[in-house]
Amino acid sequence: MRLSLLESGAPARVVKSLIPERSLESGEQYRFHFDMTKCIGCRSCEVACNEQNGNPYDINWRRVGELEGGSYPDTLRHYLSMGCNHCLDADCVKGCPVEAYTKDPITGIVLHSADACIGCQYCVWNCPYSVPQFNAERGVVGKCDMCQGRLAEGLEPACVNACPEHAIEIEIVNKIEWKADFTAADSPGMPAARHTVSTTRITLPPAVAGGELERVDSGQIRAEHPHWSLVFMTTMVQAVVGALIVMLLAHATDTLSLTLLAFVTAVALNISVFHLGRPAYAWRALKMWRRSWLSREVLLFALFFLSIGACTAASWAQALGLLHAGQVVPLCGWAASFLGVLGTIASAYIYLVPARPSWNMVHTPLDFLLSAALLGAALAPVLEKAAALLGRLEPSYFAHTPVHYSTWPVLIISVLWFSNQIIRLFRLRSSSLFEGRASFALMRGALLRPTVISSFALVLLAAGIILSGVWTLGLLCAIVAVLSTRYLFFVSVVPLSMGLSFLRARHA
Amino acid sequence: MNLVAITRSFVVRAKRFLGFDTLRSKYAYADDPRFGHIAESRVADSWVKTTCGYCSVGCGMLIGVKDGKAVAARGNPDHPVNRGKLCPKGLSEHHMLTAPGRATTPLLRKDGVLTPVSWDEAITTMVTRICSIQARHGRGTLGVVGTGQLLTEETYTLGKLVQLGFGTSNNDGNTTLCMASAVSGYKLSFGSDGPPGSYEDLETADVILLIGANIADNHPILCERLQRNQHRTLIVADPRVTKTAMMADIHLPVKPRSDIALLNGIAQILIRDGLIDHAYIEAHTEGFAEFAAFVATFTPEHTSRVTGLGVDLIEHVAHLYGNAKSAFIGWTMGVNHSTQGAVTVTAINNLALITGNIGRTGASPFSITGQCNAMGTRETGFTSSLPGYRKFENPEDRQALADIWNIDVGRIPTQRGKAYPDIIEAAVAGSIKALWFVATNPAVSFPNYDLLEFALKNIEFLVVQDGFHPTPTTAFADLVLPAAIWGEKEGTYTNSERRISKVNKVVAPPGEARADFDIFLAIADKLGLREELYPGWTTTHDAYKDWQRVSAGRACDYSAISWEQIEREGGVQWGGDRLYSDGRFAFDTGRARLHSVPCEPFAEQPDKEYNLILNTGRTVEHWHTRTKTGAIAMLNGMVPNAWLEMNPIDAAQLKLRSHDRVTIISRRNRVAQIELRITGIVAPGQVFMPFHFPEATSNLVTLGAFDPISREPNFKQCAVRVEKSVSS
Repeated sequence: MRLSLLESGAPARVVKSLIPERSLESGEQYRFHFDMTKCIGCRSCEVACNEQNGNPYDINWRRVGELEGGSYPDTLRHYLSMGCNHCLDADCVKGCPVEAYTKDPITGIVLHSADACIGCQYCVWNCPYSVPQFNAERGVVGKCDMCQGRLAEGLEPACVNACPEHAIEIEIVNKIEWKADFTAADSPGMPAARHTVSTTRITLPPAVAGGELERVDSGQIRAEHPHWSLVFMTTMVQAVVGALIVMLLAHATDTLSLTLLAFVTAVALNISVFHLGRPAYAWRALKMWRRSWLSREVLLFALFFLSIGACTAASWAQALGLLHAGQVVPLCGWAASFLGVLGTIASAYIYLVPARPSWNMVHTPLDFLLSAALLGAALAPVLEKAAALLGRLEPSYFAHTPVHYSTWPVLIISVLWFSNQIIRLFRLRSSSLFEGRASFALMRGALLRPTVISSFALVLLAAGIILSGVWTLGLLCAIVAVLSTRYLFFVSVVPLSMGLSFLRARHA
Repeated sequence: MNLVAITRSFVVRAKRFLGFDTLRSKYAYADDPRFGHIAESRVADSWVKTTCGYCSVGCGMLIGVKDGKAVAARGNPDHPVNRGKLCPKGLSEHHMLTAPGRATTPLLRKDGVLTPVSWDEAITTMVTRICSIQARHGRGTLGVVGTGQLLTEETYTLGKLVQLGFGTSNNDGNTTLCMASAVSGYKLSFGSDGPPGSYEDLETADVILLIGANIADNHPILCERLQRNQHRTLIVADPRVTKTAMMADIHLPVKPRSDIALLNGIAQILIRDGLIDHAYIEAHTEGFAEFAAFVATFTPEHTSRVTGLGVDLIEHVAHLYGNAKSAFIGWTMGVNHSTQGAVTVTAINNLALITGNIGRTGASPFSITGQCNAMGTRETGFTSSLPGYRKFENPEDRQALADIWNIDVGRIPTQRGKAYPDIIEAAVAGSIKALWFVATNPAVSFPNYDLLEFALKNIEFLVVQDGFHPTPTTAFADLVLPAAIWGEKEGTYTNSERRISKVNKVVAPPGEARADFDIFLAIADKLGLREELYPGWTTTHDAYKDWQRVSAGRACDYSAISWEQIEREGGVQWGGDRLYSDGRFAFDTGRARLHSVPCEPFAEQPDKEYNLILNTGRTVEHWHTRTKTGAIAMLNGMVPNAWLEMNPIDAAQLKLRSHDRVTIISRRNRVAQIELRITGIVAPGQVFMPFHFPEATSNLVTLGAFDPISREPNFKQCAVRVEKSVSS
């Protein structure tokens, strides 16, 4: 009972070793070679991979995609079998906030540690090939590790071993040479290799070099996960940051309003934790602040919370007569504002990933900042009114100086916010990338169109209502508008991905 | 008591939810002593050597067992057929032994409801009801339809039980839906069934012509054998651009059912250009003069008109075939699933015979069979012939069997009973009143479903013996007998290249399910015939020993091949590497016959109302009616539903888009809510759908037209139209 091909008595004239016979030298790493001319689309590799890794049926670390081109009878059909591309410049590694990803210094294999992973799924967003897949049962992501445990034993990876056509093999690549010329990593049905410098070498059939082949899975674009916790977290934090700045500018930082803002921040940050597969380990996300925008967001928002907390505490102390340093509240307040704006920018940068074209636009940071401004401008006056109401109560701890907010800034911000969204839509419609246009098509489709229209209508309505002086109702409209736009932001993104099959256009 | 349990469950859930628990042990890796680093859940204590239970390629495999449970499947690296490789179905086959949906207890319909009963009650009821019907209406009113899924030993046992025990010759197999045309064609040309070649021929032939054979989807491991051959020219004739067509050096996109014209046209060119083996024709064939005169009308121009291929292409292909040192022709259902299947096979054989491409290395007209043990049923089955390729019509054959079995020769029928479709038609007409289906699912697999449904409702008593329940067929059953499946019993299968392989028991069948063999013995016992039919038999090995005596001296001679030898050598081919290497054929004259085969258009041509030709076929992820592969999450997840392929030109005319849900309508019925795939894989005017899906069975619309010789249905062409489904 032997496993390796050479041992199995297969004729030597056909079968060469499918894994390198020598060890790696410095500057080299392992890579996959996929020979499209040999693949017959039998999908044995997919099954072998799932068996090797004990994965559920809908998590496939190796997937086979279909490509088609030409017209009958000169039709071309080809297949792509892909695991992880073990990129030289891997975005999953760079984005990970907890250093769950490492690029093995010897083999170059991009490794993922389930123990370190907190299930934030930022790697899923970052990878142009949709290689990392979230296993909800485990609360962590997983991916192809080139069966490094088998390679270490001198055995082929499961997919290589299973392929009846010997279409997959492991090779050694010189990293410097590959970085200089990696055209052999590109193939129809694959996102451009330049994003991350994929190391997988693909042998294309001669007829395919002309680029006639197209993926067959693009006829059915499905909406992505809404990530509700992120919809609420981003909207709430942005509202708080905006409101705090507006209040500081108006010198209207009353204790009750600050308390409410601090409370909302606490709730928002707690909600965001439940976006994680492993909420208990959320704190680990601070680890990689030097390179991960997700870590930076977590760090900045944590500091923001601390400073708005300090600001609120100082305000309470002042109200209760314990402290008379009048400058502490605005000082803490401005520090919090600064951190809040930085946090909001870091938050937006999380979404500026090439693998998700409809996010990777200037409109994302603009939206985040304008949403903060819009909600802040509408929220601050409402808070002021609430504080004024409470200020009339006896005994009056909360002496209140009335502040008047003018309505024209809301109008200007609304118009800017609205323009940003409209321009984004138009740019998506004429995007050079299929995925960008597909995002537009999704928003134009029957499923999302009502939400798009109503969110636009609501923001205009909010401006109108506020102009007529009804702040509370206007604020409500603005909140709903921002929430539904944020929902659309998440569900309408069409990630880059390798081409999959006609019937199963996506995995778990 | 529950407080502790509730607390514990809460703690477990909380730990899971908060992420303290990532199911590390479930997803742990370990080292398998034989196969190395792998998920711990796939590490086995012991390995059982066996043969795959899906298709007829007959791959050797190892099933890993841990704590009495099948946990892993591996290709057997030492097996001569597949050398360690398996297709996705084989690689996940261990999951079948833990799959949901198994029949686990006998069920008898009482007051309209299938109710669990004891085995004793089940067998007693079956025998009583059938004998009562036979007593009232005649023995021939029982029809039995078996399968290529049983062990050879079981098929042999079933044949004796039906023909000698129940005394009805209306015994056939689902193999008639599959390779009956190949059997008939071989008999017409060579005087006997038996694929003459070996898989090894794929590795050595210069020219390989595949006709109506999509091996990349249906026999993927044969592609591995074929790809070892670096010098071959692969020619694939198929109206559809299949995965196999994409492997070809030359794809011949023939019009549907024009294969006979192609074959005759090639013969015409070969004869015209002298690319034939006169010495071989002279020494080993008869009927050449008539044949040559007949095919003379198939000029390249005529052939081009019928097939839609260019004259140059036809000439080129003919010359490639004619100039080959060794040429191989393989075919499967594109040829067999036809009202002209048997004669198409003879047209293939004609080419091989006139060029002497038979009985030599790399040279064979080779029928690639469907089911894992279709060949076993061909050899042992008491259906279209007597066991051991004996003929009903031949008194010596009947006497020989009577002598071996020690019975009165009068009990052996003098002619074949009804074939499968004729059994169903007789059930419609009322002359078959009881039916017994063994390991087959006609409610999905039989053409023209409406007629079948009428037949199943029209009879008095229906027994369905199957490993799975419910299935669309058990829904009609009066009695369901739960059977063991592959991996739960021991015996042999014979593959397409006549290789007898050992199938072993990995685990015990679930619940009260029993091996088909044991069910047959229990029925014989109830009939009071066990000792007469099966003297001293307790295991399938006893049946094998009996079969060895029956096959001794026949073409399919098992007498010298022991189970031990099969086990040791990874299978043994009866008849050796290839048949007819001495040029002696099984007719009395010793000569093969050349047949003049006219090319008729297929039965139901498209017209204004039904303007498209529906072709049916398979996909690599599924097996037959999906009772098995539908229960394996990985396979079903890869292809979870049926689809219809349509050319962009037709789709534009019908204003349809990919992923639209469409309805296929024929003169007989309709299939609704099929996912449309617009693709250049199919020609304009043709559509294709897979037949695996009970919830969208192509057989609602297919045509009940059968080959007059083999009785095989014409699954491959019927006239349909396609409309957008009303959304549900």
